Amino acid sequence: MTCDTSTAGCGLEKLESLSDDSITEISENWNGFCCSSEALLKGSGDLSFSDEFVMRAKNLCKHGLSSLVEQHFLRCIEEIFERNGAKRFWSYFEPYRNAAPSETNKDLILEEEIQQVICKALEEISSQKQFQEKCLLLLARALQSYEEDKLQGQANPDSTRVYLFSKYQLIVSSVLLASLPHHFPGILHWYFKGRLEELSTIAAANFEDEEELSMDDKMDLDEKSKLPYKCGDMDSDINHKYAVFSENNKLVKNIGMVVRNLRNIGFTSMAEDAYASAIFFLLKDKVHDLAGDDYRSSVLESIKAWIQAVPLQFLQALLDYLGDFTSCNDPSPGLKSPLASHPSLCYSGTGIPSEGLVRWQLRLEYYAYETLQDLRIAKLFEIIVDYPDSAPAIEDLKQCLEYTGQHSKLVDSFISSLRYRLLTAGASTNDILHQYVSTIKALRTIDPAGVFLEAVGEPIREYLRGRKDTIKCIVTMLTDGTGGNPNGPGSSGDSLLEELNRDEESQENTTVDDDINSDEKQAWINAQNWEPDPVEADPSKGSRYRRKVDILGMIVGIIGSKDQLVNEYRVMLAEKLLNKSDYDIDAEIRTLELLKIHFGESSMQKCEIMLNDLIDSKRTNTNIKATIKHQPQPEQRDLDVSLDNLNATIISSNFWPPIQDEAVNLPEPVEQLLNDYAKRYTEVKTPRKLIWKKNLGSVKLELQFEDRAMQFNVTPLHASIIMQFQDQKKWTSKNLAAAVGVPVDVLNRRINFWISKGVLAESMGADSADHALTLVETMNDTGKSGPIDGGCEELLAGEDDGERSDASVEDQLRKEMTVYEKFITGMLTNFGSMALDRIHNTLKMFCIADPTYDKSLQQLQSFLSGLVAEEKLEFRDGMYFLKK
Amino acid sequence: MEGERNVASLQLLCPKDMLAYFLENWLYQWHAVSSWTWDAQDETCGICRMAFDGCCPDCKLPGDDCPLIWGACNHAFHLHCILKWVNSQSAQAHCPMCRREWQFKE
Repeated sequence: MTCDTSTAGCGLEKLESLSDDSITEISENWNGFCCSSEALLKGSGDLSFSDEFVMRAKNLCKHGLSSLVEQHFLRCIEEIFERNGAKRFWSYFEPYRNAAPSETNKDLILEEEIQQVICKALEEISSQKQFQEKCLLLLARALQSYEEDKLQGQANPDSTRVYLFSKYQLIVSSVLLASLPHHFPGILHWYFKGRLEELSTIAAANFEDEEELSMDDKMDLDEKSKLPYKCGDMDSDINHKYAVFSENNKLVKNIGMVVRNLRNIGFTSMAEDAYASAIFFLLKDKVHDLAGDDYRSSVLESIKAWIQAVPLQFLQALLDYLGDFTSCNDPSPGLKSPLASHPSLCYSGTGIPSEGLVRWQLRLEYYAYETLQDLRIAKLFEIIVDYPDSAPAIEDLKQCLEYTGQHSKLVDSFISSLRYRLLTAGASTNDILHQYVSTIKALRTIDPAGVFLEAVGEPIREYLRGRKDTIKCIVTMLTDGTGGNPNGPGSSGDSLLEELNRDEESQENTTVDDDINSDEKQAWINAQNWEPDPVEADPSKGSRYRRKVDILGMIVGIIGSKDQLVNEYRVMLAEKLLNKSDYDIDAEIRTLELLKIHFGESSMQKCEIMLNDLIDSKRTNTNIKATIKHQPQPEQRDLDVSLDNLNATIISSNFWPPIQDEAVNLPEPVEQLLNDYAKRYTEVKTPRKLIWKKNLGSVKLELQFEDRAMQFNVTPLHASIIMQFQDQKKWTSKNLAAAVGVPVDVLNRRINFWISKGVLAESMGADSADHALTLVETMNDTGKSGPIDGGCEELLAGEDDGERSDASVEDQLRKEMTVYEKFITGMLTNFGSMALDRIHNTLKMFCIADPTYDKSLQQLQSFLSGLVAEEKLEFRDGMYFLKK
Repeated sequence: MEGERNVASLQLLCPKDMLAYFLENWLYQWHAVSSWTWDAQDETCGICRMAFDGCCPDCKLPGDDCPLIWGACNHAFHLHCILKWVNSQSAQAHCPMCRREWQFKE
């Protein structure tokens, strides 16, 4: 017999000293033991062989064969368990091999069936196990009593039992796991999911009932109080819910039994995996359901409340149930997963949740945070699009990120969605800027230090730098808020202006900040407020600039220098001021004051002078008119009246952007008026004189015809064109152009305005280039009838031509760059050909004298391509040549 | 017909009368733009080398706040510039341009 050889190791001397008697006794006992143990194990619950079994075992032990007995018995148990228990157990699940894991299969009958099968199978295998354990206990007792006899009661009474049981447990789980079919975890998962869904619907119904109740209670109270649950309410809610839950105890008990049985057969971690994944699945569904696409409300609180209400209640009940059971009869203390609760600490109605429950809560909350965070990050672009409204969602995201710390995920995903959706040729610069501002505002909430903002903002800035109209859009955003068109679509301008306002308050701190000699108190406060940079911070970028996230600063950062921005602002301001027909500049003054705070007084100096010019003009204008009244000159009566019709803006041209001067012949009377005005100005302000910019300004006209009166607000050129028709009703375009003093093509462009308004009619003359123009005296002449009849047309006619009265930034740039043209041609003559970089660097190196070279690479490039277009240079393979 | 009558009546009017005519008929409010300049021979101040139409280095606003002044020699300077010059001379000040004795032009 093989077993004999294994005992040989115990000691050969012992074997030799065995007498024949004892050998016969041993073999007799052995045979008896084998038979009885087999009979015992096979006998279904019948313990009639137990006495013989115990006796035989004892006898064998006496001969020092206790380990043999033990091993033989365990092997028998294993074989039987494998043959009967495990096989039968798995055979229960055989029919569901393909059915269970499919999520779409929502067959209720099948679900029910599986549920029953699981219970049944588990029950059966548990009872089998229980029976085998009973047998094992017999052996244990036998061995125990032998030990006790031998050592006279000094042995640890439990050690053998514990040892045997743990061994048995190992056998059971290894047998089962060795034959585990792959679909079993799926079935378990399915089962738990089904149960939990059932539970959560019950809980949700309760939840809603309660919410309704509480809403009824608080109907008259502030609406806010019903959204986030107050802490006090929460406790009572939970207590109440617990009571409701006990009604569902049956269900929980059911689940608890399954879990317990699973644990019993060594599937602790598998069971836990299954219900954990089911809970997470449910939680994820819930988060998606609650969060959805609504960014206008905070969902974090309600998710937390739900976690408290459903999964935690379930877990509490489950752990409670298991805890009660396992604490008295835990067969496998060593096999628990670290996440399993410690039953001894289990919640026992004292109000202190067990450690396991707390752990579960943390785990669930983390998962909820992470799910919500992922959901929000994926939709961050949309959230930021309606930013001020979506602030609650941002707030949620902030809390989630604080918890999970996965900021880099946000940065990566947001940048890619920006690239895909915003930074494309189709998006208007205004939209991009608006989104940028919203992004800054939103991310400022999430991360006050601005580290992630820096990472996210970089691609946007990079992209905007490549756009030509960026500066213009920025300046419009800055100024349009004050432009006095509250019904305009550009609400973005308001937000930037708000920003200016806000900065005004915070500026005091920051200026102190920048000052090296800031007083020590402030320094101390700053030092106290210091926070380390987040780990994701890029150390190559100084943290000093990171400190204050100011929107204007970041906007200016797009352009690179504030000078360019100020310049563009000046150009736009000039345009705006020159088109003003009154002297109302309060809004501009306010904007300028705000900008001055931000950009420094000295850089806004010229703009201030411009505004000052307008204030002065107003004063001078009144003065000049006053002199007329004081010294009436009888021979100029007519003009006295008409001087009331003239106002003038007098500018200090040195401080204004370059203004395009076009010659226009104004109507004779106006010309006279201007001269008179200038004369009076010289009288008032000797020795200063006026130089009229005749093409600038605005004219309010009211054209009165026999059947209608029309009001217009037009440029002087338009006015002088139409006034020519007072002398003469018919003009050819050539003659008219000569009379007005502009080229024919310019005239034709301007004349279109009057034609479109139905004031002039155009007809082909003999010469195709020379149109005949007639004044339309009555509407009937053209057969037009329309709402303009007697109406008031208000339009600044110059604007629809897309023509600006002053030179654009680009023109200015070209003017500034021409200084370097001869440097560049000189360089190219010497070197033959040069790349853009090299030209840039050489200019930077040598042009340090009077016109210091301070242009950017892009500016140089656009200038050079201008020269190429003028055929002064040639551009080939990235190199510039002189055109021969 | 009506139009022709108007033209005919217009042609009869002298320019001033015509103005009165269209003030009656085509009311307008003209807002003109002009720039001012000092009526001096030079462009820049001989002392600070800044444009007359600008202002001296100590001033922020041109025009009334930083006027020009002419000497008897007909040389013009920013008032602030020449005053500084005159005050810095211990004895009789001379015009920085022509070295004649500096007298403010009456």
